[in-house]
Amino acid sequence: MLAIREMRRRKLQFALVTGVVALVSFLIIMVTGLGLGLYQRAGTALLSLNGDQLAYADNANLSLIRSRLTEAQVRDIEAKSGADDATPLGYIAAVIEYAPGRRDTAAVVGLVPGSFAEPRTIEGRALSSPDQILVDRSWARLAGTRVGDVLPLPVGFDRRNFTVAGIVDQGYFFFQPAVYVSLEAWQAIAYQGDASQRPAASVVLLKGKTLDASRGSGWEAVTKRTAFDNIEGVQAQQSTVNALRYMGLLIGAMVIGVFFYVITLQKVSLLGILKAIGASGFYLVTQGLLQVAVVSAVGALLAVGLAVLLQTTVLASSSVPIAFTTSAVLTTALSVLVAGMIGAGLSVRQVAAIDPIIAMQQQ
Amino acid sequence: MTDAILELRGVSKSFGEGDRRVDAVRDVTLDIDRGEMVSLVGPSGSGKSTLLAMVGGLLQPTAGAIVVDGEDITRHGKGARTRYRRDRVGFVFQGSNMVPFLTARENLLIVGEFGGVDRGALRHRADELLEELGLARVRDQVSSQLSGGERQRVAIARALMRDPVLILVDEPTASLNSELGSRVVDALKEEIHGRSKACIMVTHDERMAERADRLIEFRDGRLHSADARPETVRSSEAR
Repeated sequence: MLAIREMRRRKLQFALVTGVVALVSFLIIMVTGLGLGLYQRAGTALLSLNGDQLAYADNANLSLIRSRLTEAQVRDIEAKSGADDATPLGYIAAVIEYAPGRRDTAAVVGLVPGSFAEPRTIEGRALSSPDQILVDRSWARLAGTRVGDVLPLPVGFDRRNFTVAGIVDQGYFFFQPAVYVSLEAWQAIAYQGDASQRPAASVVLLKGKTLDASRGSGWEAVTKRTAFDNIEGVQAQQSTVNALRYMGLLIGAMVIGVFFYVITLQKVSLLGILKAIGASGFYLVTQGLLQVAVVSAVGALLAVGLAVLLQTTVLASSSVPIAFTTSAVLTTALSVLVAGMIGAGLSVRQVAAIDPIIAMQQQ
Repeated sequence: MTDAILELRGVSKSFGEGDRRVDAVRDVTLDIDRGEMVSLVGPSGSGKSTLLAMVGGLLQPTAGAIVVDGEDITRHGKGARTRYRRDRVGFVFQGSNMVPFLTARENLLIVGEFGGVDRGALRHRADELLEELGLARVRDQVSSQLSGGERQRVAIARALMRDPVLILVDEPTASLNSELGSRVVDALKEEIHGRSKACIMVTHDERMAERADRLIEFRDGRLHSADARPETVRSSEAR
């Protein structure tokens, strides 16, 4: 096939453009990975909760950080929402000193041990006492924590030791690895002072796709998806990342388009000769598009390989929030291919417009 | 009953309009027979190449009919003209016009990629033509490594690949010395006679032109004189 032979015989020319396409594709994949990583860290722990909806204090503007529910409000939600099941949840960010002089912030989630909100452990056991803690595997990896280790959490001006009962796989909350304690322990960590003045929960997790009422006295309920979308900064962050992705695809399309346009201009006389000796415009356009497809596909594959290599080496031990999924990588690679084809549209028009008479005129 | 492969009937071609109108070819009527090689000579701008382009389906005449082996190509649309160039005509351009990154053999086989032919049979034909034209030794060399004479012979072989009825040749020896040019034209003539094709060769080189079976002179877009068989050459001016 003419297109493939040309690529084989003009290796340097096509290797250069394939390299550029690979770098642009790699950039797009990395930005996509960054978007996915940030998305996951924004609150996969929230999306992973074993429930359908969350009830907030109605003055919290759907902010988990600001939402505080009284005992009466929790009872009201349980009674009037019409949910199949309901359980209170607390949230607070706390600094945990996991080794002498080594601290990190964790999202401390309070829950009722044994309730449907308690995540399934992948190692160890479920919570059975107020002095126990479940840690997400992201925290375990970060801090080197194992089942049975003791983690000190700040309670007022003191510290209280929690024994790691199990490891869970729920992900992040507000860009922090999640740890889970009993609701009682959460109240102690989050609110000092008179126990009677403490909020009963931050939110109430509800089961059931539809509710009898999504609003009540001082509370409002929304789906987990809405709750996630209202996490501070998530929308703006994802919009920014998506803008970068689209910009990358546009640049990719332009790079491929311009390259093939220049190549087409260089080959006008040759294409004219081929038309003069019987090649149809369709044949020549097909050959051109085949080259675009090969360059884009090989470039995208190289980029995927580079991304996988990076993920398994540098990023494996890094805290950079970049995550890859097969579908995200494949979608990006496919997008590069499509962008390349669109970019090559310019050349297609050029090829179709070549008059075979130039085969005689260019002599 | 005529044995003409090519019949031109009152063919004219003009470019531009009004004051800028240029009549490149004027009312040409001409027959070329099977197995005949015709040289078309004349000064630059006399209309030779324009006539060749029209016969080759690269330009549409302004008036008249061009009938090739019974097929009036002036009635063809774009697609039919492409198929005509692919199947019925073989071109040999000045400077050979090879695909530079293909070998001599691949330059022949390229015409098989345009469709409408058994590619297996073409491979056999390519080897046969390379052998006949003394190119078997260089068949796997890319065309940029071939000498000028070899490139022109490859171009002739490519023109013959799809067994066309008509071969159109434009200044085939312009870049060759006279000895090499003579060998190329002789090789072409041998193929035309041996395979009963018809051929029009446009050339400025009188020595090459005289090697053809018939010599036709063009001036100011009209047929001026014809050698050997003047009875087949008719233009309105001549009449």
